[in-house]
Amino acid sequence: MSLAQILFYLMAFIAIGSAVFVAGTKNLVRSIFMFFITLFALAGLYVLALADFVAITQIVIYVGGILVLILFAFMLSGKETLNAIGEQKSKFININKLPAMLLAGLFLIVLVNMILKVDANNLEWVKKSIVRNNMILPNSSMTEGIGINLMTQYLLPFEAISVLLMIALIGSAHLSRKGKGA
Amino acid sequence: MNFYITYFIIAIGLFGFSALFALFGVYAERKVSAFIQDRLGPTETGKYGSLQTFADILKMLQKELITPAAADKILFILAPGIIFVAVYLGFAALPWGPGLVPANLNLGLYYIFAIISIETLGILMAGWGSNNKYSILGAMRSAAQIISYEIPAGFAIISVVMIAQTLNLQTISAQQGILSTEVVKFSGFWDVTHIGGFFAWNVFRAPHLLIVFVIYFIASLAESNRAPFDIPEAESELVAGFHTEYTGLRFALVFLAEYSMMFLVSMVAVILFLGAWNTPLPNIGPVHLANWTTNAVWGIVWVTIKTLTLVGIQMWIRWTLPRFRVDQLMTLCWKVLTPLAFACMLISGIWRLWLM
Repeated sequence: MSLAQILFYLMAFIAIGSAVFVAGTKNLVRSIFMFFITLFALAGLYVLALADFVAITQIVIYVGGILVLILFAFMLSGKETLNAIGEQKSKFININKLPAMLLAGLFLIVLVNMILKVDANNLEWVKKSIVRNNMILPNSSMTEGIGINLMTQYLLPFEAISVLLMIALIGSAHLSRKGKGA
Repeated sequence: MNFYITYFIIAIGLFGFSALFALFGVYAERKVSAFIQDRLGPTETGKYGSLQTFADILKMLQKELITPAAADKILFILAPGIIFVAVYLGFAALPWGPGLVPANLNLGLYYIFAIISIETLGILMAGWGSNNKYSILGAMRSAAQIISYEIPAGFAIISVVMIAQTLNLQTISAQQGILSTEVVKFSGFWDVTHIGGFFAWNVFRAPHLLIVFVIYFIASLAESNRAPFDIPEAESELVAGFHTEYTGLRFALVFLAEYSMMFLVSMVAVILFLGAWNTPLPNIGPVHLANWTTNAVWGIVWVTIKTLTLVGIQMWIRWTLPRFRVDQLMTLCWKVLTPLAFACMLISGIWRLWLM
């Protein structure tokens, strides 16, 4: 096995193991800190796939932003509430969990189906890209490519997302403004 | 396999450097504060008290590691490690001289920006794990402050990147001196590509970059939890903030992280604005001062001098200004620095498109 393969299996194992812990544990705060490890392992996998920009963006947005926000919500809600959630008695198989189990099962079928059907070593579009020399090498810089594509080919989705985010910002500012007459 | 050994040596060397810097920094901080408050500071241990911090660290190594009974033990023990490692990882991408950089990343600047944000998570972990109201209040204040000040800092960084057109810290450094491969202009009108010196530094490349530098410096003070932005560990209100419950080696690790963070943010400021490892001496006619003082050895000397100067200014500010109240802190960030940084970013774009 090459070093890249060893690293891939190591990080995939860490990602899956910590994700199982996140889903399984009853200590919510610890599960959030485990989620941090999952995200880091995922970032490592992105780096292995030569998507270093995506990897760092994932750390900035998820670790620096979203995880900290979730932790804030936990810390503002107090320890008693969290303990009450942790002490809830529930069996692993439960009628209340039916929708979740259905979704998970369906998703598993989709994934298994895809893995069985796809022939990852000779994909049509990968071969075409190699012929046209349209690929990323380990020493090439990705940022320029992402910037140019965002401003040309994917301008409409990019602008649509920015409008959506703007709406969310204005909405949250309006909701948090409970002063006079509102 | 040889280069793996080199990597390990560099990593250990950087760790040793940050530890030594923390020892030196604590001593300097005490002496500076003593000078500002008209005291003497440490005088007993060693000549001029110079062995005081070594004595302190020896004492800390021997102390008992106390874990509070009600603490979340795993989080409590892991937190100082995460806080320090987050800062230490940032050192990997910092260039020290021409060709001297531990990891020459294409996205070096973005990487450091990402790594710094992990420290917040470690602080929240310490605050929650301690299970103490002062710790958790300190941790929440710290997280709120760091997240808020990341925005003006980010805009300030983007303003420089728009002018430099790269995220590679080594390329940004090379652009600010005689090794530049493109034309460098002082304030946009005077070609100083072959003159070099402080004329070619990014602060003087465009007039608004001076304001950007000040914005970044203020934001970096807040990100490393230094006074006047030290409400997370306001000793008159919160005992010691998020590290109230830590003793011995764990406490030392938290302090090591704080001083490494000071060095890290100062060095990023030096690389982005103050010419990185480039010499401040320009070529004057036949006297080629800049050519003589630009190489790997001089690079380390210049970058260290500049960074230590900025760290010194951080200490000076800490012992001069009173602490901000939380509303003043947020007002400064959201109503002053963020709009100003945003305006500077717009000017950078216009400058790059029409004036360069």
